[in-house]
Amino acid sequence: MNIDKFRSKFLEEAAEKTENLEQSLLALENDAENKEIIESVFRDMHSLKGGGAMFGFAKLSEFTHDLENIYDLVRNGKLKITRNLLDVTLASVDHLKTLLSDPDLSSQQTKNRHTELVVQIKKIIDDDNKNNIREEKGEYEKESSGIRSYYIYFEPNDYIFNDGTNPLFLIDELHGLGDCKVFSHFNKVPDSENIDITRCYVYWEAILATSEDVNSISDVFIFVEDDCKLEINEIVDHNIVQNENIMQEISNLALSKNDVGLLEIQTIIKKYAEQKISDEQVDDVSKRFTNAPSVKENIISSIRVSSIKLDNLMNLVSELVTTQARLSLYAENSGSSELVSIAENVQKITRQLRDNAFDIVLVPIETMLTRFQRLVRDLSNELNKSVKFIAEGAETELDKTIIETLTDPLLHILRNCIDHGIESPDERIKSGKPEQGTILLKAYYSGTNVHIKIKDDGAGIDPEKIRLKGVEKGLISKDAELSRKEIFDLLFEPGFSTAKNVTDVSGRGVGMDVVKRKLAEVRGEVEVDSEINEGTTITIKLPLTLSIIDGLLVKISDNHYIIPLSVVGKIYSTDQESVVNKFNNLIVLDGERIPFYYLREEFNLPNNKEEHEQIIVVSYEDKKIGIVVDEVVGEYQAVLKALGKLFKNQEIISGATILGDGTVALVMDTNKMILQFSKDNLKTESK
Amino acid sequence: MSKETIEKVNSFLSFNLGEEEFAAHVSKVLNILEMTKITEVPKSPEYMKGVINLRGTVLPVVDTRIKFGMTPTEYTTNTCIIVMEVNIEGDEVQVGALVDSVQAVLEIADNQIQPSPGIGSKYKSDFIYGMAKIDEKFIMLLDMDKVFSVDEVVLVKEKTQEGEKKIENKE
Repeated sequence: MNIDKFRSKFLEEAAEKTENLEQSLLALENDAENKEIIESVFRDMHSLKGGGAMFGFAKLSEFTHDLENIYDLVRNGKLKITRNLLDVTLASVDHLKTLLSDPDLSSQQTKNRHTELVVQIKKIIDDDNKNNIREEKGEYEKESSGIRSYYIYFEPNDYIFNDGTNPLFLIDELHGLGDCKVFSHFNKVPDSENIDITRCYVYWEAILATSEDVNSISDVFIFVEDDCKLEINEIVDHNIVQNENIMQEISNLALSKNDVGLLEIQTIIKKYAEQKISDEQVDDVSKRFTNAPSVKENIISSIRVSSIKLDNLMNLVSELVTTQARLSLYAENSGSSELVSIAENVQKITRQLRDNAFDIVLVPIETMLTRFQRLVRDLSNELNKSVKFIAEGAETELDKTIIETLTDPLLHILRNCIDHGIESPDERIKSGKPEQGTILLKAYYSGTNVHIKIKDDGAGIDPEKIRLKGVEKGLISKDAELSRKEIFDLLFEPGFSTAKNVTDVSGRGVGMDVVKRKLAEVRGEVEVDSEINEGTTITIKLPLTLSIIDGLLVKISDNHYIIPLSVVGKIYSTDQESVVNKFNNLIVLDGERIPFYYLREEFNLPNNKEEHEQIIVVSYEDKKIGIVVDEVVGEYQAVLKALGKLFKNQEIISGATILGDGTVALVMDTNKMILQFSKDNLKTESK
Repeated sequence: MSKETIEKVNSFLSFNLGEEEFAAHVSKVLNILEMTKITEVPKSPEYMKGVINLRGTVLPVVDTRIKFGMTPTEYTTNTCIIVMEVNIEGDEVQVGALVDSVQAVLEIADNQIQPSPGIGSKYKSDFIYGMAKIDEKFIMLLDMDKVFSVDEVVLVKEKTQEGEKKIENKE
């Protein structure tokens, strides 16, 4: 591996780190006291800094260093987390992302932003320093800052006042150079009777931590050089003024012993330096332990494989599962115990392999949420709106490629929700809504599809307005009769924008059509529905080319079917008499009358020869519906596969899966199935 | 061999539906499978026989006889599923075609192919791009893309009833 490879590795890692940072910072907003989160923020910043320096991202490293200082203060309880602080850090994290792609600040805009942020960060630190001079800075300070600590002994001659010099001004000037701690000595001041007010009896010792060199320090005393005793000595190459313990010890000495002296100070520093090294060693060891797992994670999550390879892998794995099931069956029948144990081993490994393969390709929607939360937070602040973002079903898993394509369209939709959907707090109160608007993102499986719903409780869209706009833009003719759905679909036409004023945030006439096109790339569909004053719901339907569902395996006649476990409520036993040729198709279960469908009848199959039937109660919208099958086999984890184009009109079956014995089981979409059955029955009744 | 080269080859796979012999260009044929258990898909058109597991993928199977307006296939030891890749609305789709038996791979030169029959013949010409006379027998060369692109029963034959009765009697 050459340095470039390391560099790209760092970039990947850095992207992850910034993502983490963002997430942690958002969490901090709600839980400012959480030490763990603060630590993780600090750690991420620290590794960014280190990595940045190593791989030639000097600006990034420098910038993170300042940021890190803030969180070091926070971590040591010296700085409180404020909204301003979070705002600045979040902005900084954004800037870090820019720095990763443009490490040398080549664009002027980035440069300006950089300076601006650096100033803001410095301000936060400085504000803090004013309140509390004796700040202990991180141990990293000394490594890179170039700050040195000097010992200054300044004893003016007693006639120094004669030429109008005020030594206190000089001491002040020392403070201007950097962190400075001054010890004043009054031991030479005579009794009050003998005091001569024209003379100076006081002398000073000071410890100054500064990035200036010796010359600049002696420049301070340039006019009194001949009228005083002056000593300037470099003590150490880092800032000891910020080290509370050392300063405490020196002050104690100064109080008890008058002159502290260079020698004494050096011994104290040496003592602490030794202690620190041993501390650091302990730190290093513990760090190595804590870092190890995270490094490992990074390696796993950063592997990129083409989806075609993954598809192949998945197919091979399901083939293997099939073959393995056959092997187990054969082994059992063979009567050879040795073969059985081998088959069992194969089964175990196959199952693990299968689970791993599934894990590789699926990513929970959760991974996108941080960006959404961030957007909602920033945008609602900017627009002076109060918006709450709720996500449901974040554990719903989707193909990684789909997730990647999905992020931008979803961001755009959310932007629209906040900008156009949610009203300002005043308007909301006027229309009798809670001041805070809500955006709900809900993801759930529906057969071989994943649905993502984004629902706001904002102003809604007036279909009539859309229609008029459509006419105006020449998208539809004036007297065109359009269904509600068709009207809302106009929103996705290129060049259609309902916003009266074009804002920065969203809507320049490009937008929803791009959303639609983007989603079409992953064969997704999008739909809008809206009620005036109630809000707007946008539903995105995504296919699951590769996905698994937990299902209930059932048998009807010779065929196996899978009912998604998510809709299954309860399973009851029943007999043929109670379900066949019933006039009203209602059955009483647990004291509740439940409508049911006898699937053999609906599928035009002959009645079951067995007396025994099983009825599965599934949820359909808000109702309970019974589905009668021959037999419930058990739970089954099904790899969903599409039925293909030739079955495109087949709605009640959403896909298929391959069972252990190599046969195909069909996956029912109970929602669509019940819908179709009820339609069919209405038709027959009306005849 | 790349697809283009295969398309230039004049090889056809011939198969029987009842007594009639048809042929499909080899560039369309991926595989020939023995008859296996077909999982029926409820509420689908009659000619959509169901799906099978083809090495981990789900393959739709069409009862070619029903698609061509004949009686449903009766399974014998000769019954086969020809796996084909056809172009439906711009997408390459794999489909299994149930046939009574597979005959042979034939080399048919361009000059042996006669244009598809005109009006008055008992075959609908849309799905047949030519006929070839081999060993005193007429073989209909099918345009598989077109056959599978249509949702309805294709009705290759117009006098279905008559033809079917003949076949049934022989069986």
